[in-house]
Amino acid sequence: MSDVDVTGLSSEPGLKRADRVRLLAQPLAVLVVVGAVLVWAFARETDEIEAESIQAGVLLTKTWEHLLITVVVTAIVVGVAVPLGAMLTRRWAKPVAPVFLGIANIGQAAPALGVLVLFFLWTGWEGLWAAALPIAFYSLLPVLRNTIVGIQSVDPSLVDAARGIGMSPRSVLLRVEMPLALPMVLAGIRTSLVLAVGTATLAFFVNGGGLGELVDTGYKLNRPAVLVVGAVLAVGLALVVDWLGALAEQLLGPKGLG
Amino acid sequence: MTSDSTDSAVSGVEIQLEGVTKRYPGSAEPAVKDVTMTIPAGQIVVLVGPSGCGKTTTMRMINRLIEPTSGRITIGGEDALELDDVRLRRKIGYAIQQAGLFPHFTVAQNIAVVPGLLGWDKKRIAERVDELMDLVGLDASQFRDRYPRQLSGGQQQRVGVARALAADPPVLLMDEPFGAVDPITRGNLQDELLRLQADLGKTIVFVTHDFDEAVKLGDRIAVLGEASTIQQYDTPEAILANPANDMVAGFVGAGASLKQLTLLRVRDVDYPDLALTADVGESPSELRARLARAGDTYALLVDRRRRPQRWVHVRNLSAATSLANIGRPVGDTVSTQSTLQDALEAILAEGGRAVVTGTRGEYVGMIDIETVTGVLAQLREEHESAGDAGDAGDGVDGDGTDAADGDGHGGDAGRAGVARGDAARDGAGRADGGVDGDAGAAADSGAGTS
Amino acid sequence: MTLFDYIADRWDRLALQSWLHVSEVVQSTLLAAVLGVLIGVAVYRSPVGSAVATGLASTILTIPSFALLGLLIPVFGLGPTPAVVALVLYALLPITRNTIVGLAGVDPAVTDAAKGIGMGRLAVLTRVELRLAWPAILAGMRVATQMLMGIAVIAAYAKGPGLGGEVFSGLTRAGSANATNQALAGTLGVVVLALLLEGVYFFIARFTVSRGIRG
Repeated sequence: MSDVDVTGLSSEPGLKRADRVRLLAQPLAVLVVVGAVLVWAFARETDEIEAESIQAGVLLTKTWEHLLITVVVTAIVVGVAVPLGAMLTRRWAKPVAPVFLGIANIGQAAPALGVLVLFFLWTGWEGLWAAALPIAFYSLLPVLRNTIVGIQSVDPSLVDAARGIGMSPRSVLLRVEMPLALPMVLAGIRTSLVLAVGTATLAFFVNGGGLGELVDTGYKLNRPAVLVVGAVLAVGLALVVDWLGALAEQLLGPKGLG
Repeated sequence: MTSDSTDSAVSGVEIQLEGVTKRYPGSAEPAVKDVTMTIPAGQIVVLVGPSGCGKTTTMRMINRLIEPTSGRITIGGEDALELDDVRLRRKIGYAIQQAGLFPHFTVAQNIAVVPGLLGWDKKRIAERVDELMDLVGLDASQFRDRYPRQLSGGQQQRVGVARALAADPPVLLMDEPFGAVDPITRGNLQDELLRLQADLGKTIVFVTHDFDEAVKLGDRIAVLGEASTIQQYDTPEAILANPANDMVAGFVGAGASLKQLTLLRVRDVDYPDLALTADVGESPSELRARLARAGDTYALLVDRRRRPQRWVHVRNLSAATSLANIGRPVGDTVSTQSTLQDALEAILAEGGRAVVTGTRGEYVGMIDIETVTGVLAQLREEHESAGDAGDAGDGVDGDGTDAADGDGHGGDAGRAGVARGDAARDGAGRADGGVDGDAGAAADSGAGTS
Repeated sequence: MTLFDYIADRWDRLALQSWLHVSEVVQSTLLAAVLGVLIGVAVYRSPVGSAVATGLASTILTIPSFALLGLLIPVFGLGPTPAVVALVLYALLPITRNTIVGLAGVDPAVTDAAKGIGMGRLAVLTRVELRLAWPAILAGMRVATQMLMGIAVIAAYAKGPGLGGEVFSGLTRAGSANATNQALAGTLGVVVLALLLEGVYFFIARFTVSRGIRG
């Protein structure tokens, strides 16, 4: 049972029964809960402090910031981990592969908040990039590992056939190995997405904005309504992003498999 | 097209291996040791040997999936080791066990890979794909857009062969391509390969550990021992008749005489046209009258293209208003290209006699157990009359060669060799002379059997 | 001041925080293990129940930990309670999922044999099925522990105990002399403790998994 990964999130491709239930129930639950909380928040009597946060403009800005961090992180993760993972499966890279995997493992094992804060203290940066870079480092492992495992688990006889009929090493990678590893890679990206959207709630600690800021405001100023709205929006966004990831897994995977 | 010369059909080129050796770092003994052999143009050469003997390694050095440590390999006179390895492989067809089809590509995409790599234009590729699917007996309109997992094992192998042939390479390497399918499908695929080869005349290097397959397919067989050392390299007839040493004899096995049945094909023997055939449209009463006149009890129902459908007994006819849907389906059939061994199996399965079909799957006659035993008896007779005159020799051409079987039960390798040789030529001739419907008919039967 | 000087200087406080961090995580894991195994036992025979339980647990995991923590503050106030509740919730998924997988993976022939020799339903469960599923359950606990080590840092935001406090005070004192040392000590401390716990799990597995089923 050691194949359960350290995030606890499922990194395995495929649609199991539980996943199917979630695929249907998740967006519905989000719609109902977020809708109800928003209706409640806007309908109730708000004082001045609450009114400053609970207004459409602020909520949209924070959600947008949150989403932006998630997208930037995912772009960095995919842009770095997929090529890196593919490279590490080449025969000449075998000796260095454990080094990179080790670094990614440490990145994942370290507490996300610690990585975020240390990056801030070392660089003095603030804002989007100060949040996105350490979160990307933290979320790198699932994609890196799944890319490597995905390519390694391609049937060797297919690689042999591809080489045997005259594909160049590059073609073998791009036309045979990568497409066949795609389900694993997509599963890894989904896991990374979930890590990214969750960790993005911490971005406000380095002035990166995001929905975590509403939680913080509500807590610091003792306004539970603001806190609840921020938290529920963050939860809703995370579930929607996860759902989109699941959908992407279904739609983008290569045909003819499974 | 005339076919009195075999060269007319040859499109393959000669392959020469000279002192080819493969030594892996860290192991004392070479995996392949000093192999020198000539693979003649347009022939099927089977490398056969126990697993781990290095036969696959030897084959993979020809397209340089494995680089030889030393030695020389020429293909059609060109030094293979001088060429760019990727370009070299595009000129060599490659088919492996379980076909190695890319599961994320459709059948058409799989076949189109090499033409695509060679930069053919789309239209030419599409035409070639259809042509090849036709050639290997798959209906293009039906199978073109399917994915490999939607095909049976036999169909996948056909696609694998089509892919290997896609760019019309002079040389084909086949590594146990039929190893993973059931015996009946395997027999069909072997028959089809021989049919294709009669048309195409490629140089085929075929690796297998199944000696029966080697005997059936090979123009020549190389029996390999440890480190791929050649124990015997000769025609199947010669190897069956005169195993060079104990190792080869052990590989040939005990049933050498029965194996000779694989060297004879149904079209080489006289099979009688025993069955009374009837079109499905014929009225039952009319058929009953015809059966009575012929003194027969069974009739074979055929479709419009005279392909056998069902057996009808005379007593089914009295109650029937139409011939549609009565009788029992015809089971295993044999084609004129089937070996006598396959025919024997079908005869036993069918209870004494089996339907023989022609190249388009049409009824041409019946073969029964007496026919086969008659052939065996004839072989033995010829063998005895030939006496000990043939001093075994090297048995390459096998004419009048004394068979090496001591049990007096088997046939004469030489006779079989001649018959088989004729058959091959004959096959090439027939295929050439046939109308273009030939491949189409094969396509039908192919889709049906797998 | 170097990191080592800092650690030496504050050793007492760091040791206490480390102890609290580990104790919080371990207690939460144990609580989640009890709940997770109970849930697993309750649902593993029903495909629908299994799907709902794992689906729900996966959904909880998707929830950002900071958001969940925020939601728990109005309910439970500050301190260890919201931290432990959040940690237990997060630990549930890996443990429940592995319990279900482990129990479902027990060879039916084995349970059949157990019944055949006269074991009652409870005896079959406790003496056969759970024993065979134990490696999977333990693996789930190990994964949960590793995850909680990081989440517990965030729980310090709600004044939860542990090394998270170091990270947070490093953040709030950004610019001052020891800010980086503090954050580094907290972060590295968590990594080191996580590795130690990993080792502990290795030994637990060694001594509790029947040698007959050890990989």
